[in-house]
Amino acid sequence: MKKHRTLLRTVAASILVLAPMLAHADTLSDIKSRGVLTVGVKNDYPPYGFMNAQGKTDGFEIQLARAIADQLLGSPDKIKLVPVNASNRIQFLQAGQIDLIMATLGVTPERAKEIDFTVPYVSAAGASVIARKEAKFTQWEQLSGQNVCGIQGSYYNKLLTEKYKINLVNFTALPEAYRALQDNRCVAMAFDDMTLRNKLEQPDWKGYKIAIQPYEFLPMAGGVRKGDETFLKAVNAAIVKTEGENKLIAWEKQFDMPASDYIAKRAEAARAAAK
Amino acid sequence: MAGLDYTWLLDPVYQQWLLKGVGITLELAVISSLFAIVIGLVATLALTLRIAWLDALIELFVELFRNTPPLLQMLFFYFTLTQLGFTVEDPVTGLQKPLFSAFASACVSLSLFGGALCVEAFRSGMEAVPKATLEAARALGYTRLGLFRHVQVPIASRVCLPALTNVLTNLFKTTSQSSVITVPELMYAAGQIYNDTFRTLEVMLLVLVIYVVLVSLLAWGLSCLERLFAYPGYGNGG
Repeated sequence: MKKHRTLLRTVAASILVLAPMLAHADTLSDIKSRGVLTVGVKNDYPPYGFMNAQGKTDGFEIQLARAIADQLLGSPDKIKLVPVNASNRIQFLQAGQIDLIMATLGVTPERAKEIDFTVPYVSAAGASVIARKEAKFTQWEQLSGQNVCGIQGSYYNKLLTEKYKINLVNFTALPEAYRALQDNRCVAMAFDDMTLRNKLEQPDWKGYKIAIQPYEFLPMAGGVRKGDETFLKAVNAAIVKTEGENKLIAWEKQFDMPASDYIAKRAEAARAAAK
Repeated sequence: MAGLDYTWLLDPVYQQWLLKGVGITLELAVISSLFAIVIGLVATLALTLRIAWLDALIELFVELFRNTPPLLQMLFFYFTLTQLGFTVEDPVTGLQKPLFSAFASACVSLSLFGGALCVEAFRSGMEAVPKATLEAARALGYTRLGLFRHVQVPIASRVCLPALTNVLTNLFKTTSQSSVITVPELMYAAGQIYNDTFRTLEVMLLVLVIYVVLVSLLAWGLSCLERLFAYPGYGNGG
């Protein structure tokens, strides 16, 4: 009986001690004790995250993620890259499978309800539309009622159906969507402008063009779990420091991205703030 | 269960996606079930003719469609057939258009998959008809068609109803796989919504309830049919 009571007390005490720790999960001390930062990245999305010729994940966001790992843990190699896609990355973060999303994550109010955003580091064009060269449409409104291929989980899907009345034919992965467009299963395909422009440079996409320009530009940021403030501050500091060192401008050049005023201005601001 | 948030259900866009999803799931299930039963009946009837090459053909069909994933069959109908030239010219755009829409591709593969399962279910029913009964009927002068209509079908249909219930509920659930080829059925709608709202658990729970209700209704209907058909010695109810 007495033994039981002691056991019970120990359990109760441990719950009391552990409960606050569980409630205030602190990713920063977690990754420091683990010695590795786990980042959800794209590996099919040049120039941000893709498999290079050596079969390694590389790209603009990968370099930035490694720079963050360097600042937090002292080495750019103390990082684990987990491939995610648009339709599972927030679930991965919420389930604790990754510490940080660096996967072409556009800043939207809907997402801000679920996760916290880091400082934005890129301003990306939103969705544009590719179609065969002979396509006559040039405005989003002209796609009303048409079958347009897309990807599940893109933030603009709801707006495209709601505002432009587009009949979206959404796949879970890009290769199927491209295949379906080439099979004429859709009159066009709506997706992130940068990716589509990259695609058009490939030889078998000669017969296609950007038919409709993006209707908006959207800042892209990293994502962390809600309320994880110490970690968020540390990641933000790391991003701003990297911006101030002009590294993002160097990666822009390295990965053939058009030089953007946004990144240049952020680098200026970071240097000004550091003074 | 605290913390479940269903406020997204108030959004008319999501309501519309869900309702359309339920409708298309039902359409897919009804169309493919009917075709599956027809395919099953025709094939089973053909098997009773005992023509060697026809038997081999039916066996090949059953093996092919029962032993491959329905998902693969759908992808095959959706992507491969257009590459093989099954296209028509669209008079509006002047472009080549696939012969089968996503919905038609799903219907075709689900019907063939269900058909293959039905053949097996019906065949097992036919084999359950006692030899002595058949011999007695033949002795009474039934023709082959009369034997089939008045003796084999009444007995076999009662015996294979539970197996058919299995096939049809299975087929109903398999419709969810057509979300992969973008048929906007219930699972597709669910995917769209939880990718938008991130309320994964809530959306999954709702869809789970919808499937349970629909499949239970189907199973209940078929069990009523079983009771209606009940006959001493064959099937339920005795």
